[in-house]
Amino acid sequence: MTQPRTCYVDISRYDPERGDQYPTMQRVQVPYDDSTSVLDVLQYVKEQVDSSLSYRWSCRMAICGSCGVMVNGIPKLGCKDFVRDYVAHKGVGRDHAANDAPALTIEPLAHFTGERDLVVNMDEFLTHLEAVKPYIIDPASRPNNPSAATHSQTPAQLARYQQFANCINCGLCYAACPQFGLNPEFVGPAAIALAHRYNLDSRDHGKHERMQVLNTHDGVWSCTFVGFCSDVCPKGVDPAAAVNQGKVESAKSMLIQLFKGSSIGDSRS
Amino acid sequence: MKQRIKGLHLEPLWWGLFSAGGVCFAVLVPSVVLVFGLLWPLGVVDVSFTTLQSWYQSLWGLVFTAVVISLPAFHAAHRIRHGLHDMKIGYGGSTTAFVCYGSAMVVTALGVIAWWSA
Repeated sequence: MTQPRTCYVDISRYDPERGDQYPTMQRVQVPYDDSTSVLDVLQYVKEQVDSSLSYRWSCRMAICGSCGVMVNGIPKLGCKDFVRDYVAHKGVGRDHAANDAPALTIEPLAHFTGERDLVVNMDEFLTHLEAVKPYIIDPASRPNNPSAATHSQTPAQLARYQQFANCINCGLCYAACPQFGLNPEFVGPAAIALAHRYNLDSRDHGKHERMQVLNTHDGVWSCTFVGFCSDVCPKGVDPAAAVNQGKVESAKSMLIQLFKGSSIGDSRS
Repeated sequence: MKQRIKGLHLEPLWWGLFSAGGVCFAVLVPSVVLVFGLLWPLGVVDVSFTTLQSWYQSLWGLVFTAVVISLPAFHAAHRIRHGLHDMKIGYGGSTTAFVCYGSAMVVTALGVIAWWSA
């Protein structure tokens, strides 16, 4: 048996209940191989080094969206990000620990309020998500009208919104967005992508309700097309495209209002 | 009237000018630079000054002013304003909007005056 390779990892620690005023870095030496993910590192630390470490996780397969953290300053899903990539990038030999500079720095998601260690307050994102009504709005749907036919949708109608439906609400795009960092009132990439997803859905009739939120300064218009949201998205959703298609829709919606003379909430577009 | 303008703001207008200016910047400005900045001085294309002047004095001259001078100016103004916002200069206020779009309007006015007096 050869010795397992090891490397140093810095993990941000913060426990206000213990009286911490500021987050501090804890350096730990962890073993790794080619299949060790950042989440594996955190689990190793919790089980073997310091059981007080707090972080969120669930599925380990990039579908629950719980384990978002900043790795070397970039928002990543812990389960979808691997130690091997960082050690290789540094160009260090097989035993990274020989050089005690940390290969990875793991911090809580940027732009959110830290609650403890790597756990952030996701309500700051969920409030925006709720505001855009990310569900099918259809007054004539079955619960209201039992005699209504079931919804049918062609593959072409599905294809219009399918890409934007892959969002797992992990919040990485909010940690990446400098505009959300400057203004937490900005509705933000994921919520706008999901608003766009439902606006494009042939079964939906709620676009006029969502446009009220998207048309505001804090809606699509806070975006300056930095595009980092789409770079970090672990599911390839491309929220930047959704936001900028949303700008076209918002401009149309406001122009229609100007000519029709009714407020955005009343006009069905 | 109140209902008509409720919740409206000018951002879509600036963004529309920015988008149109972006297309002009990407497509028209480089070709103008190529023709008048390189090919003409090098003698590859031969345009007589009088032909060019009569062309510029027509309505095409005004179109040229719009797509090569005015819209790119508004594109640049929008970029600069948002760049300043990112650097927290004039954050949240309308001063940067006034200065940036005002400059683009001055550039546009100068372009129109140049065309008119040509």
